[in-house]
Amino acid sequence: MNLSSLPWLELSLLLSLVGAVVAAFIKMPGLALRTCLGFLLVILLCATAASLSTGAGWLKHFAADDLAAPMLPVLSMLHLVTLLGTAKSRVSPLFCTRLMLATFVSLAAVTCHEPWMLVSLLVIGVLLPLWDLHSRGSATRGYLIHMSLFIVLLVLGWQFAHKPIGIALLLLALLLRGGIVPLHGWVPTLFQGAAYGTAMIFVLPLMEVLAALRLLPHAPEWMLNAASIACLITAVYGGGMAIVQNEVRKFYAHLCLSQTSLVMFAVMLHTSNGLTAALCLWISSSLALAGLAFSVRALEARFGALSLREHHGYYEQVPGLAICFLITGLASVGFPGTIGFVPMELLISGSVEQGLGVSFALAIAAMFNGIAILRAYFALFTGKRPTTSVSLQKTPQERIGIIVIALTVFLGGWFSPGVVASRHETADKLLERAGKQEAPTSKH
Amino acid sequence: MPAHESLLSWLGLMIVAPPAALLAVFFAAFLLNRRLQEEPIGRLIQGTISLSLLAAVSASVIMLWHRVAHHAIELGDWVITPHYHLKFEFVLDLLSLSYVMLTLVLCAVIGAFSTRYLHRERGYQRFFVLFALFLLGMVTASLSDTVETLFAGWEMVGLSSVLLIAFFQERPSPPRNGLRVWVVYRICDVALMLAAILMHEINGAGDFDHLVGDKAWPAHDPLLIGPHFTMLGVLFVIAAAGKSALIPFSGWLPRAMEGPTPSSAVFYGALSVHLGAFLLLRVSPVLDSSIWLQVAVVVLGLSTSAFAYLAGRVQTDIKSALAFASLTQVGIIIAEIGLGFRYLALLHLLGHACLRTLQFLRAPSLLHDHHQLENAIGSRPREEGVMWEQRLPIKVQHWLYRFALERGYLDSILEKWVARPFVALFRSLDGLETRWARILDGEPKTKEARDP
Repeated sequence: MNLSSLPWLELSLLLSLVGAVVAAFIKMPGLALRTCLGFLLVILLCATAASLSTGAGWLKHFAADDLAAPMLPVLSMLHLVTLLGTAKSRVSPLFCTRLMLATFVSLAAVTCHEPWMLVSLLVIGVLLPLWDLHSRGSATRGYLIHMSLFIVLLVLGWQFAHKPIGIALLLLALLLRGGIVPLHGWVPTLFQGAAYGTAMIFVLPLMEVLAALRLLPHAPEWMLNAASIACLITAVYGGGMAIVQNEVRKFYAHLCLSQTSLVMFAVMLHTSNGLTAALCLWISSSLALAGLAFSVRALEARFGALSLREHHGYYEQVPGLAICFLITGLASVGFPGTIGFVPMELLISGSVEQGLGVSFALAIAAMFNGIAILRAYFALFTGKRPTTSVSLQKTPQERIGIIVIALTVFLGGWFSPGVVASRHETADKLLERAGKQEAPTSKH
Repeated sequence: MPAHESLLSWLGLMIVAPPAALLAVFFAAFLLNRRLQEEPIGRLIQGTISLSLLAAVSASVIMLWHRVAHHAIELGDWVITPHYHLKFEFVLDLLSLSYVMLTLVLCAVIGAFSTRYLHRERGYQRFFVLFALFLLGMVTASLSDTVETLFAGWEMVGLSSVLLIAFFQERPSPPRNGLRVWVVYRICDVALMLAAILMHEINGAGDFDHLVGDKAWPAHDPLLIGPHFTMLGVLFVIAAAGKSALIPFSGWLPRAMEGPTPSSAVFYGALSVHLGAFLLLRVSPVLDSSIWLQVAVVVLGLSTSAFAYLAGRVQTDIKSALAFASLTQVGIIIAEIGLGFRYLALLHLLGHACLRTLQFLRAPSLLHDHHQLENAIGSRPREEGVMWEQRLPIKVQHWLYRFALERGYLDSILEKWVARPFVALFRSLDGLETRWARILDGEPKTKEARDP
């Protein structure tokens, strides 16, 4: 039997749904964690196989095309790392159910070809963090207002996608989902109110990038230019805000804002280089930021909510987490030798067509992010080490997570040329399609 | 390709490969959760540097024997798209081989010194991991023939320097100073990044050969004239100013002395502080594109030198005094580059780096010697100002003293006009954001994060 002809994508989707159902029926948190871990590992394998397989799938509206294929293992790994970084004491069957559902939504959205389905999945995706916020008794109004606006704009925009106003609404909806300034208030709120894992899996898959690529191939140039300026402002703003934050969660939220805006900016360039950079950055930023969150969550599990006001000196107790924090943080800003280096270079060089001022602003955003990361590193890991009576060494689960992240961040850097070549091909196809196809409409 | 050229390419790669392999060993140890003992680390360091040095010396001998003045080693196109070309390439020439051999010799000395100096220090392995990163960065930057390769090495040097400044991390000031240095480095990185982009714009590639011609350094083919080249030169000078602590970035140099003595010696006495000068030597034909740029470089070098001389005169600790003495010479080297004396600048750089490394390494013993001297003569040795200082009016003397003591007010100017407004602006924006979030959430206060 030819392995590539197996329905790997369908298996991934099915397993994530089955995993969600199974986790919902388990009462013991430990068992739920192990079960969820097993499901996510198998999903990662299936997703990787789906991205490599060439055979046609069974589901009509889902396919691992050029755009989706590399994102399947990336998104699966993102969810796996999220679970690996969750402390055993904080895992609940409900969290596992939500995680598996989020896995399904992400994988389904990235492989979905029907605009109405993608729009539905984007709407469903919004509900998972809301569920989390509600179940934790956190304030939901701010998030609800932003996301209601997002849904309204998204649906209206999709309905009128053949008209400029529809495209404008769609674009606005996606910018809102990406946390564009000044409509970004929900991002810090979400990271502060919801479980870290839930916030991560909502923000890091960068579904707005996917939606922009699938739903907005024909946006007029002036709209893209305006959106790219907004993204650029957000990238610089997010970086600057990340530097001055005194709480780790808000620091992380603003760093995410800055990084995701950079990806959206690259999408808005709508040039071969820009799209190539966007597709590469999408992969590198998601993984690097997931790795950074992994370290932060492991620290929070040990020491509670973390402040950046003083130096904590955690290096001596958890050096592995310190190294993980540093390399993933630097990878997210494009440090040489890591997964983020080539995409960042591509982005900054790709922006030259917009003028040296734009490249300068991008370099400033990268500079701010780099400063913010090292400031957070020094605050968390240097200083007088705290004395504790219990061992704070990393758990086997965390050790596996660190190995996976470290290898991904470094090996990803070495495999960049191959990834860039394939992403460049995809970018050209997307541009070609944009030139030939009609705008997406609601009537299919 | 003739046999000696293939051999040169192989040797060139052999200069870079051992430091890369050393870093890979440390990375594998981290992944396997193994702590390396002091002795194996010492042997690894010495073995690595010996191999690289052997390759560098062999390459130099072959080049001299075959009268090869310039040999490029292409590592292939890393990324190639119709609009973008990322290429990693090394070059063997007088400049690169001189600087890489200087790096390897000084790193060998410092490595041997550090294995004893840091014996039983808690951060022993951490020190050598950062040392290995620095070594790889220096070797990469020294041999670079494209701006991307240079940038990669440049960044590695910057990160390792900053983390070594914060080496004694239990004290509050080393990380604080490390962060300050990082900020300056990031600013100069922006300039280098923009220079790289501009190079791509001008030539369609980041190769130095494309920019200045493939003649052996310091000769160059084309006449580089035009506003683009002047702009490029300005960006390179800003990048070099940050890395070499030239005015107005000089404030970070004494802060960098927080690190252990071996790292101070290798970074700020010898190699890292000269990296800016090395960059200007590499792109020196670009400086020739404008007389104003050359004048600016000379003025920058001389003013840095004068400032460092004054500041160094009032330092009360030996490492800071040496740091400013080092900066005085770096300023002169920069001025020499601006004046077009490339060979002189290179010779000055090599000699100065060696001298200053030895002085830094002697610094802890020097204090001991000084105490012995004081005990022997029964009083402190007399310190007299040089003749021109005594001829100045007393008010000017006092002003100069204050100026030197405050290190030219450079730090306070940057803090007052750059850092504080930046922090104030973003803090106020943060306050607005928080208030807005509270209004939206309809609560008087935000809920604290509870679970990860």
